[in-house]
Amino acid sequence: MASAPSPEAARGGSPAIAAASPSRFAAARSKHGPGYLFLLPWFIGFFGLTLGPILISLYLSFTDFDLLTAPHWNGGANFVRIFTADAKFIQSMRVTLTFVIVSVPLKLAFALVVALLLNRGMRGLPIYRAIFYLPSLLGASVAIAVLWRQLFAGNGLVNQFLLNFGIVGPSWISNPRYSLWTLIALAVWQFGSPMIIFLAGLRQIPLDMYEAASLDGAGKWRMFRKITLPLLTPVIFFNAIIQTIEGFKSFTPAFIISGGTGNPINSTLFYTLYLYQEAFGFFRMGYASALAWILLVIVAVFTSFSFLTSKYWVHYDN
Amino acid sequence: MTTLHRRQFLLGSAAALAAGAISPAFAADTKLRLLFWGGKARADRTFAATDLFSKANPGVTIDGEFMAFQDYWAKLGTQTAGGNAPDIIQMDYRYIVEYAIRNGIAPLDEFVGGALQLDDFDKDQLDGGKVDGKLYGISLGANSVALMVNEAAFKEAGIESPGRDLSYEDLPALAAKFNAANKRSGMKLFQDGSGVEPALENWLRQRGKALYTADGKAAFDGQDMTDWFKLWADLRAADVIVSAEDQALDATDAIENTMITLGKATTTFANSNQLIAFQAVNKDPLTMTNFPRIKPGSGGGHYRKPSMFFSIGGTSANKELSAKFINFFISDPEAAKALGVERGIPCKASTREVVAPTLDAQSKIALEFVSNLGDLLGALPPAPPANAGEVSTQLRTTSQEVAFGQTSPEDAGPAFFDQASATLARAKKG
Repeated sequence: MASAPSPEAARGGSPAIAAASPSRFAAARSKHGPGYLFLLPWFIGFFGLTLGPILISLYLSFTDFDLLTAPHWNGGANFVRIFTADAKFIQSMRVTLTFVIVSVPLKLAFALVVALLLNRGMRGLPIYRAIFYLPSLLGASVAIAVLWRQLFAGNGLVNQFLLNFGIVGPSWISNPRYSLWTLIALAVWQFGSPMIIFLAGLRQIPLDMYEAASLDGAGKWRMFRKITLPLLTPVIFFNAIIQTIEGFKSFTPAFIISGGTGNPINSTLFYTLYLYQEAFGFFRMGYASALAWILLVIVAVFTSFSFLTSKYWVHYDN
Repeated sequence: MTTLHRRQFLLGSAAALAAGAISPAFAADTKLRLLFWGGKARADRTFAATDLFSKANPGVTIDGEFMAFQDYWAKLGTQTAGGNAPDIIQMDYRYIVEYAIRNGIAPLDEFVGGALQLDDFDKDQLDGGKVDGKLYGISLGANSVALMVNEAAFKEAGIESPGRDLSYEDLPALAAKFNAANKRSGMKLFQDGSGVEPALENWLRQRGKALYTADGKAAFDGQDMTDWFKLWADLRAADVIVSAEDQALDATDAIENTMITLGKATTTFANSNQLIAFQAVNKDPLTMTNFPRIKPGSGGGHYRKPSMFFSIGGTSANKELSAKFINFFISDPEAAKALGVERGIPCKASTREVVAPTLDAQSKIALEFVSNLGDLLGALPPAPPANAGEVSTQLRTTSQEVAFGQTSPEDAGPAFFDQASATLARAKKG
């Protein structure tokens, strides 16, 4: 049972242990063999469907692959063009950054407020939780994007409602001034999954801290600022990273609402949508692969930046 | 004990797998794969024709698959790259050159006179399927651009609906009459056509220009484009066309979102074979006429375009049989009746004779329209160059920039020309 080699043994200091290791590996192999056999489908999937294509796309990003003919190596030409002569790259970057920078904090704030409201031990909590979570389940779906299109069109429900107050609204989705904001609203509305995680985080804060604080005469707001928020920072941190990555990856709503065009006037040209257009609209697979790798690097930079700053504001229990 | 079990299990499953792998080989029939774009109406007609072919050729089944135009090219490109292209491929005028020069589709000349009987096939339609002198696609129908017209809206307003002689110069006066009648509140006379590539092409051709030269360059200049954007800016100012916001609802030319279907305009730029599809989603009775002339008496903007082709996959193992199927598709009387003119007007005279008496009202209008273009008809332009599709999306974006007031026609004209030229130059040569 307890035969797993201890870390010290694995590092192998003495010759005796080193000599013993081949037979130990053999033993380990026969023991773990079936385990690996059962893992085989996963390994095949990982190497064949995930790692393999990722590496191939890295190679393709240095080629002019167009789906129909064999790829030709063209050095860094794709990257040079992206960074020096591609107005659509800049536009799509601007749209995506606006989307991420506005929608992620709003979504987290929304999720936190709703989680705080739900955390007051009310009756029927599971039902409310389910209701608030529902948009997140539907969120990435085509149906919701189509519905959003209907809601925010010129004579959609939103404008019908505004008409009650004498406001004649614009056609939100087809006006370049508002189209991105309807997509941000859609993203914020899908606050369900960070909310669930916040809720779980709130449950872990020991009640006796609040009791002690209230004995000391702290008010609700003060307790929130001094106890809830600091103890929740690991969860906030986790949510922020996940949502930021999700934001960069966002594709379906813009694709459906703009019919895959990113219009009006490229105002909803998300980075992923531009990448898709290059790959599947204009068959520049090599160029699109280069775009994909740039996105990967950007997301990695954002994430590592978050990790670097986290030590200044994220408080772990001990 | 356990090993034995495992071995038995492995043996058993291997046998099962082997049986599964072998069984298709026992089946005597040949399967042809057919890929096409279109909606359900087209699929129903197509599958009726493939069933007829299977009945006439026992042992041959056609495995048909269809999807929307935009998804189609990604799917076909992926299958072709994987060496897994279908046997029979629906091909567009826009892509035939790209597929032909890369051997994605096979030349058909060796089958002409054999499996393919093309004696009474319209010559201009046959030539439309040629690349570098070799035949790569069989046109499934002739087509022309056409203006969809909401007849009822004009009738209510007491105005005669626009016909053959309509010119862009007439539009402000006609719109004033239509707006004064005020029968359909908010409905405008025209959609905003400034971002519609076929409308631009038709207008350019009437000026003696074109979209593209035979060697794949822009055949217009910045001044042409300034005039074009200016034309529409003036129409916008004269209350002839829909607002920029409304026009932007029509992002992809999907029939459901066109200005005529949304009730925002009395007309929409489209193609002659689409009247059936437009009528299916419009309550008001529609009719069809030509795109406006640029001034009274000018013509030559229209042309009879091969609406789509059937080509044979470059890697198909059953090219001869596929050619036989294509021949059946374009000439068998029963198949012709099932297909009607949904893909355009049939290119064989004998097929047209079979089809004509069976047509419904909209199809008859389409047949009449394409057969009687007269002075509106000009020569078939060369197939569009690679990246033409991207230029078309740029036209739409630039037209929106002008319509929303972010730029002026004077600036947009040269800017669009530069952008289009750069895009065309970016295309990879063969």
